[in-house]
Amino acid sequence: MLKFKHFVFGLVLSVVSLQQVVAEELNIYSHRQPFLIQPFLDAFTQKTGIKTNVLYSSKGLAQRLRAEGKNSPADVVLTVDIGRLYIYRDLNLLAEVKSDKLLENVPSHMRAIDNTWFALSKRSRIIVTAKDRVGPDEIKNIEDLADPKWKGRICSRPGSHVYNRALMASVIAHHGAEKAEEWAVGLVNNFARRPQGNDRAQVKAIYEGVCDVGIINNYYFGKLKFSEDENQRAWTKAMNLTFPNQGTNERGAHVNISGGGVALHSKNKANAVALLEFLSDRASQQLFGEINFEYPVNPRVNPTAELQSWGQFKEDELPIERIAELSRQAQMMIDRVGW
Amino acid sequence: MAFSPQVLEFRKASVFALAFLLLSPVFALIILSFGDSEGLWPHLVRSVLGRYVSTTLLLMIGVGCLSLVFGMTCAWVIAAYRFRFSNWLDFIILLPIACPAYLVAYAYTDFFEYAGPVQGALRQLMGWHSAREYYFPEIRSLGGAIFVLSSVLYPYIYLLARTAFRHIPANFYEVAALSNRSIFWNIALPLARPAIVAGLALVSMEVVSDFGTVEFFALETLTLGIFNVWIGMDSITGAAQIATVTFAFIIILLFAELYSRGSKRFNDTSRTQAIQHAKLLTGTKSFFCILICLIPISFGFLIPVGILLWNVIMTADLAALREVWTVLRNSVYVSVIGAVIIMLSAITIASSSKVNASKPMRVAGNLSAAGYAFPGTMLAIGVLSCLGAADQFLSWTNIYLSGTLFALFFAYLVRFQAVGYGAVSSGLTKIPLNLMSCSRTLGLNAQQTTLRVTIPLIQKSIIVGAVLAFVDIMKELPMTLLLRPFNFETLATYSYQFAHDELMDQASLPALIIILVGLVPVIFLNKLLRA
Repeated sequence: MLKFKHFVFGLVLSVVSLQQVVAEELNIYSHRQPFLIQPFLDAFTQKTGIKTNVLYSSKGLAQRLRAEGKNSPADVVLTVDIGRLYIYRDLNLLAEVKSDKLLENVPSHMRAIDNTWFALSKRSRIIVTAKDRVGPDEIKNIEDLADPKWKGRICSRPGSHVYNRALMASVIAHHGAEKAEEWAVGLVNNFARRPQGNDRAQVKAIYEGVCDVGIINNYYFGKLKFSEDENQRAWTKAMNLTFPNQGTNERGAHVNISGGGVALHSKNKANAVALLEFLSDRASQQLFGEINFEYPVNPRVNPTAELQSWGQFKEDELPIERIAELSRQAQMMIDRVGW
Repeated sequence: MAFSPQVLEFRKASVFALAFLLLSPVFALIILSFGDSEGLWPHLVRSVLGRYVSTTLLLMIGVGCLSLVFGMTCAWVIAAYRFRFSNWLDFIILLPIACPAYLVAYAYTDFFEYAGPVQGALRQLMGWHSAREYYFPEIRSLGGAIFVLSSVLYPYIYLLARTAFRHIPANFYEVAALSNRSIFWNIALPLARPAIVAGLALVSMEVVSDFGTVEFFALETLTLGIFNVWIGMDSITGAAQIATVTFAFIIILLFAELYSRGSKRFNDTSRTQAIQHAKLLTGTKSFFCILICLIPISFGFLIPVGILLWNVIMTADLAALREVWTVLRNSVYVSVIGAVIIMLSAITIASSSKVNASKPMRVAGNLSAAGYAFPGTMLAIGVLSCLGAADQFLSWTNIYLSGTLFALFFAYLVRFQAVGYGAVSSGLTKIPLNLMSCSRTLGLNAQQTTLRVTIPLIQKSIIVGAVLAFVDIMKELPMTLLLRPFNFETLATYSYQFAHDELMDQASLPALIIILVGLVPVIFLNKLLRA
């Protein structure tokens, strides 16, 4: 029995942590998949000697951070849309950051008013169309998607996905709730099939002839174009890509961001800020484009040559926080129209 | 030594304490649901709630029926007859249990969609050129989800039903034969009812809490609704409310079945345990038996594993294999320890609450398994709240529980207690109560009785429970994802980062390994049950 007790004691010790503060380590809660952020973190470690530890989850990290309270080991939070960043701030989980470098690298409409979070990259929601079935200028604006002429020809992922919810919020912001809901009803009436799959699946469906028009985030186009899978490369060859709302009086294409902030109870704030600064600097900003076909937020950095070859575009300059504020209203609208 | 009141009280208290511990994340969620959801419900009722409820019910009924058909027909064919390959089939029928439903869903979508081999072959055969020229059932649909979930969940029913069918004494069958009654409908089925219902309960709870498959197929079930409310409307309160209502519904369902079973007894007290001998079949009959068994095996195992294997072979990457190796060790480690913890807890609670126990104790025992009825992520949030509170309490010790493996083991215990508890209790219904009473009369106390009489008698059930728990932890995704320590990947989380992005090629190798590792204990289990 004594041995058994020792065994149990050993086991317990091996599974709970005796927390020690290790100065040169940085703990990151990430909503971005490990295989996408690792190249950035490796470069950071190489430059600074600071080791990084990552916890990835697509959902629930804000709840974890909140439950852990001041005992939380987290130093940095990284997310892939404005909605989540906003939730962290709303729950008062982020520390105010004082960094001239970040203020310089990240334009003011791309960061929180109180400097609790900073955008690190931009992605645009774009329209893809089948080359052989849709003329290059047939769709100009996101509003055109509600035109009955597209009945049975549009594919979309479910409306309640963050990317579509943010798009819905941007339409509400520009047209008001009533007009926005009319648009959403029109859009849903035009669907070729029940909303399903991710953005990648919409491109595939167009290629397969299930529909002619889809809404995707721009980086999916790049990932498919340079995929290891030759089928996926073939899909993009059959597509035209349209940045919506580009006319002279138009507002520009809807953009969303990936971003980050410093955890309120981080014991390592200086290094946490150093990581955010690193991610907003030239080398990382370019890496966002090279690895994941995202646009830089840093105005002094140009998009990669590949991104430039897709064309210049005007972005919707609605303050990005407005999208997050309208999220609940957008979700309710999505529920009502059955997107 | 025997019957000292203190010992009895201590035992009772420890069962209640353990049950309370297991229920604490559930309580945390219920407390969370008392918050203000800011007028959410009128909106939900007007717009989506009807869809959520009806889709969930249809899915539950559909999967329940189809997995009953798969599980029970196979169980009866294998238990009642002997035919060519029947020993082999008996073993491979169980294999789908090692396949995570959402990965099977991913694999099938690749397989059945327009660009997949099935439709490709059809087009070539018929000379069609586009999706508009013919009809093909959509795999991402309610029907598709029923098919996928039933194909991987039927073994829960099969396993329990087969064991029950096999343990029916031969003289019962003789009576049926003499009085010209159907052996299956009048004898086997009624006697196997507790086992079948236990299996069905596990299946329904898996269905209600499934997120991966319904998200991938974009089916608007209550679980998907929970996430829309939580993430979309930033209302964890609203999410907890939907989860709690769903949970209450399942609990009512389970108690209804327990109540309808009433005071019927299913244990056999006869001295001779002559078991029915399986009838030998040959020729066409044996061919049909093989066919019956092969259908669910193909759907739940052969085809999806074949697809994954094909993906792995086509994109052979040895570098990936090295990386997967460390991840594999993590997976096996948490699954083994987790399963042991679950079984210790299940035996402790079941042996006290099932045998000559007071009603509150029985209720506490049954409720301790309730974590299974919550979607994993919601339960993980309950676990987070509890651990956060515990850490506050322990802050003077410099020991932290959240973000450690302890958090994972605790979560697994809360969620999969039902699996261990179900196996142990169904084992206990098989042994005559008077054996335990006898042991107590002969001077062993309750603890000694458990160790020296009960456990040896239900050894097989314990191993069944442990294997199921092992495989469940191996497959578990949402709780592991949210509760794990830094830099800690299991096969499920590792595979998920790719599958989440519909990168099936990269996800296939870890997915295949989850299945293969899950097979090892299943094989062992089968050897043991047959011995």
